[in-house]
Amino acid sequence: MAAPSLLRGGWSRLVSGFLGLGGGWARPPARALRQVVEVTEGSTTVIEGKIIEDVKTPTPPNPSGQCPICRWNLKHKYNYEDVLLLSQFIRSDGGMLPRRITGLCLEEHKKVAVCVQMAHRAGLLPNHRPLLPEGHVSKKPKLNRYLTRWSVKSVKPIWKRGPKWCRVPFRVGHPLLMDNINYGQKPVYLNH
Amino acid sequence: MASYTKAAQQWATFARAWYLIDGKLQPPGKLAAMSVIRLQGKHKPMYHALSDCGDHVVIINTRHIAFSGNKWEQKVYSSHSGYPGGLKQVTATQLHLKDPTAVVKLAIYRMLPKNLHRRTMMQRLHLFPEDVIPEDIRNNLVEELAQPRRIPKRLDEYTQEEIDAFPMLWTP
Repeated sequence: MAAPSLLRGGWSRLVSGFLGLGGGWARPPARALRQVVEVTEGSTTVIEGKIIEDVKTPTPPNPSGQCPICRWNLKHKYNYEDVLLLSQFIRSDGGMLPRRITGLCLEEHKKVAVCVQMAHRAGLLPNHRPLLPEGHVSKKPKLNRYLTRWSVKSVKPIWKRGPKWCRVPFRVGHPLLMDNINYGQKPVYLNH
Repeated sequence: MASYTKAAQQWATFARAWYLIDGKLQPPGKLAAMSVIRLQGKHKPMYHALSDCGDHVVIINTRHIAFSGNKWEQKVYSSHSGYPGGLKQVTATQLHLKDPTAVVKLAIYRMLPKNLHRRTMMQRLHLFPEDVIPEDIRNNLVEELAQPRRIPKRLDEYTQEEIDAFPMLWTP
């Protein structure tokens, strides 16, 4: 019957939530990695997402971390160029996945969101574009850019930059990424 | 040096070289810094301001330069004709669409020393919006300089092996 299984599902979630309240936010994943299976029987096509039971994930170097970034020791080591990392936290139309699904801590989630935005504006994620009606040609000029902090439409020109001693700077990059490890001698300049 | 004739050594020292820089996905300020050094001749040990030892610089793909930050929208190029109401202010985007070489040209012009040599050095600078270069300039080119910025790879430029080698950080 449907009722006991529903109740059991609800109870287990309450209990695990209760246990989770005492410690941190860590609780077992409610979803799993699924594989899309399409079965055609006569005139009915069934598209099912079958849960993969044994997922062979390599063990992270720091299994006691709270979020995936801490577990893989990537805390201050990624930037907008590391698309292979960023593409694991985005939807197919380019938006970020929610934090309760990915398990990232708040500051890392914000950093990844900022890096994903910069990667989109730099054109590094060409296949994660939002769906547009067919034949839609955008009238915006396609200009190359990188490390853009603000969205292209929202920025106004700086008509008067002022004298050298009180210059209005161009903001580049993002202050959340100031703590990244820099292997070169030059520091990261956020004001140009 | 050791085995060259005096004439050959003199020719190698004082000849004017032609350098090529590819501006694709590069910041125009860094391109300008590199070209200004070579236009003045400061990359040569026998540099002197009066000895006219600057070289030629050819920059291609100026249409595809990349500004960091939001400079395409925020940077304003102003000019005044001298007449009242003659102030013209154009954003970098508008200027670039009107003339694809103007951004790099202005950057280099403003980085050169502000003396009478500046105009001759600007005449030795050659800018091309795409990678189409006239035959005679292409025959003169000696060396292509390294690009100042390392271009990151797009997601579709990674091979399937590299994508598979990268571990999955989290499972749903």
